[in-house]
Amino acid sequence: MSIVRDIASVAKGMSITFKEMFEPTQVENYPDGPGPMHGAQFEERFRGQHVLQRDENGLEKCVACFLCAAACPANCIYIEAAENTAEQRISSAERYAKVYNIDYNRCIFCGYCVEACPTDAITHGHGFELASLNATSLVMRKEQLLTAMPAQPTTPTLPK
Amino acid sequence: MADVTLTVDGKKITAPAGTLLIDACRKAGIEIPAFCYYPGLSLQAACRMCVVRIEKIPKLQTACTTPVAEGMIVATDTDEIKQSRKAMLQLVLANHPLDCPVCDAGGECELQDMTFKYGAADSNFVDVKNHREEQQWSPVVYFDRPRCILCYRCVRVCGEGMDVWALGVQNRGVSSVIAPNGGDHLDCEECGMCIDICPVGALTSDTYRYKTRPWEMTHVSTICTHCGDGCKTTLGLRSSSDGMEIIRGDNRDKSGINGDFLCVKGRYAFDFANHKDRLTQPLLRNAEGKLVPASWEEALTFAGQRLHEIRDTRGGEQIGVIGSNRATNEESYLLQKFARSVLGTNNIDHHRTADYVSFAKALAGQEQRAASLREAETAPAILLIGGDPTEQHPMLAWNLRTNVRHNRARIYVVNHQEIKLRRQATSFLKISAENYSAFTRFLAGEENSIFGAEATALRETLATEPNLLVIFGSELRGAAIEALVRYGLSLPDTKFACLGDYVNSRGAADMGLYPDMLPGYVPVQQPGAFATEYGERFPAAPGLDLPSMLDVAARGNLAALYVVGSNPVHRYGVAAASLKNTFLIVQDMFLTETALLADVVLPIANLYEKAGTVTNTYGDLQLVRKAADRAGVRTDLELIVRLADTMGADVHALVPFGQGTRADMGQSRGAQSGEADRHAVWLAAQNLEPKLSPFDPSALLDEIQRLIPSYSFSRLELFAGNDQHVQATSKNNALVQISNLSQRPDGVLPSMDTLFTSGTMGRYSSKLTEVHDSRNKEILVAAN
Ligand code: SF4
Ligand code: SF4
Ligand code: SF4
Ligand code: SF4
Ligand code: SF4
Ligand code: FES
Repeated sequence: MSIVRDIASVAKGMSITFKEMFEPTQVENYPDGPGPMHGAQFEERFRGQHVLQRDENGLEKCVACFLCAAACPANCIYIEAAENTAEQRISSAERYAKVYNIDYNRCIFCGYCVEACPTDAITHGHGFELASLNATSLVMRKEQLLTAMPAQPTTPTLPK
Repeated sequence: MADVTLTVDGKKITAPAGTLLIDACRKAGIEIPAFCYYPGLSLQAACRMCVVRIEKIPKLQTACTTPVAEGMIVATDTDEIKQSRKAMLQLVLANHPLDCPVCDAGGECELQDMTFKYGAADSNFVDVKNHREEQQWSPVVYFDRPRCILCYRCVRVCGEGMDVWALGVQNRGVSSVIAPNGGDHLDCEECGMCIDICPVGALTSDTYRYKTRPWEMTHVSTICTHCGDGCKTTLGLRSSSDGMEIIRGDNRDKSGINGDFLCVKGRYAFDFANHKDRLTQPLLRNAEGKLVPASWEEALTFAGQRLHEIRDTRGGEQIGVIGSNRATNEESYLLQKFARSVLGTNNIDHHRTADYVSFAKALAGQEQRAASLREAETAPAILLIGGDPTEQHPMLAWNLRTNVRHNRARIYVVNHQEIKLRRQATSFLKISAENYSAFTRFLAGEENSIFGAEATALRETLATEPNLLVIFGSELRGAAIEALVRYGLSLPDTKFACLGDYVNSRGAADMGLYPDMLPGYVPVQQPGAFATEYGERFPAAPGLDLPSMLDVAARGNLAALYVVGSNPVHRYGVAAASLKNTFLIVQDMFLTETALLADVVLPIANLYEKAGTVTNTYGDLQLVRKAADRAGVRTDLELIVRLADTMGADVHALVPFGQGTRADMGQSRGAQSGEADRHAVWLAAQNLEPKLSPFDPSALLDEIQRLIPSYSFSRLELFAGNDQHVQATSKNNALVQISNLSQRPDGVLPSMDTLFTSGTMGRYSSKLTEVHDSRNKEILVAAN
């Protein structure tokens, strides 16, 4: 009896194997795939390297409230705040982040910082090729995280 | 008063009759929220957060204005009350900006806490918020009007507490607005009490605005380095590229001797530590006569060898030592021990700001006659002779005002100036500046009155005051102090306080920074135990005092002068040339007038960057905790020990270290400052004490306690951060009478600091200078 049962279960297992052999491939062909992504495909909500956003006037959205740093379980966000002045306006509120570092040696891409941010300044981008042979290069500065300045800042049109 | 019993939330509580319901509840551990109520200030009943239901009264009542009554039945936590509080919050929030992310109060805001607690995050109002720009009212005070919740705490603390009355209310109802007395700016004492007491972020300070957030800082409570009152100030620190930087001074730890209070210096004048001229490298004078940077090794070896050479060739009597008013007790003690046992000289002194020696002598043999600063808040009657507490002892002035307000204390002011405290005084007697001494003799009944009927009436009134607290300024010295104390002792239960100028002026005196007095005011001629303690170099004869040292130096007969944290060249107006034949070692934070003349300059840590103890001018001993840190500087304690070491002295004889527990105290880890203190609390609680390195102040504290019997206090209390009162001399350690002590020159040179100055160091505080200058500008404008 037991031999019959064994043969039946092996046959069942192998049937799945043979069926899958003829199905189309699901694996991403990274990094040998075509295009700038080298074959990688993203879901929209993939949590990659952070991007610090700007508002419609090109000002930084971050107001240095330290809430992301407080929320971060890995304690990897370092901020130094400074005050905006009339001559030098960086963000739209009173304060901006003079220094904003994220230490990717420690970040676990949990997204808590993004959730904590009251101004939607910090977001997860899709950057994921972060590996490096030099750990210090994994501490990224604000300049590396900021989104590019919009080519032409859209000036809000006033109603006539 | 008799106790009454009432029921709150089903719990029976007892409180003295007349207590406010809110206080009674809080005492019993029942929380009642409040914005406008603040203990010690007058009642406002503006915010309606404290509402409770009292049985048999139809409407909700404010707990902050209702006194307890027998049999009262109170509910504090029903749905109705919660709903009412929530509605109040929604009204407050109707025009409150969404500023929390950038607001300085965020994280320690009472409005945030309440909103969170009562779930008032949603709003039923759709009106557009009424925005107003933030205003700067003074060099330190900023006002952000939309954030104000009109609790009027600031108005009351400035008026009632400070007696400045610089803040007021304009308009009525919803358009009420807090306004400064100068129209668009404040003319005030810049104490920052209004900022501290503001439950929200409406009032903010220039030093801290938009810099960081409360939870991002390390908070260390230590003692203010400025005046002789010794307030506890909590420093907010963050790490910087060269240590730990102080970014905020405040009073969030209200456990100190100062309770709620801090003045402008304790709150804002910490920035000298970050001044650009701060020295962080030793300097040596080179062959061309220029001061150039050197390594610690070079500087200490050179200084040590020269001192060694001078001591051996020209003798200890050719060496002078000047100590500091801002160093810790341990450092002052060590400095005089170093002078006496290693340099072999009694030429040691400091800038004296009050005649503590005469005070100690007058009180010798008495017990519990010196008053603590705390007693100024409770004494029923106070006689204040000389001094100007509002300017020079702001904390004392605060206590006196509070005492008058709360206890109707009677203050009798005798002064040659119309000091501000006369506004709280029961009587004010103006005498001329030369007559203080005569006045004390008049009080003691030893001189016929040259003062007229008013003075006689005052003397008669004082005779009826039991428990008089006599506080006197540095105008009184020598025989005047003795006469005053004689007079006081003839009244029942009189206590005394002597006002000196700096944080550890009293400590410097207690620790024996005198040419003729050893620690504990033991005369050099009768050294007692010190004779054997201080080894064979200890000279038997008294040395030179500070002015004589400078004179001798000018005559070219002082071979070396070692100045620690003092600026005698400026203070005593010494001509630069007079020190040219003296080998001068200066330990200071800055290139002061004295340091500029030095052969060796050693950069030191300030009081915020080291640990130890200080004694305020009343004799309250407190713990100093290491808060900030700066690369490149060292403590006075360390430098004295290292200097002794390079001179070949036995360091073990100098500092009794290495006899206690051995453990890694973390002292080597700069950024982890405060670690040693935390360990120390634990060790002290286990009856173990850390005495690990020769730079450990607690080893010296042992010796201080052993040799100065009046310094008896509990270590546990000390490490817990509590102040303890010590007497200048103990009963058994009565000063041996020296016949010529009254002829001894007191050598007191009052520093004449005001609210906005603080000796040489004050000049390096940018904020203090800014406040000072803005004040002077106003006076100039007003004069024109
Ligand atoms: S993703 Fe998580 S771990 Fe990374 S910075 Fe944000 S909060 Fe920190
Ligand atoms: S005062 Fe309090 S509630 Fe108002 S913005 Fe500031 S932190 Fe937020
Ligand atoms: S700083 Fe002090 S004196 Fe000035 S307004 Fe505020 S409370 Fe009044
Ligand atoms: S400024 Fe602050 S303390 Fe003054 S009334 Fe407004 S909320 Fe109260
Ligand atoms: S009263 Fe004196 S000790 Fe207190 S904060 Fe002001 S200067 Fe410092
Ligand atoms: S605390 Fe009672 S009304 Fe404000």
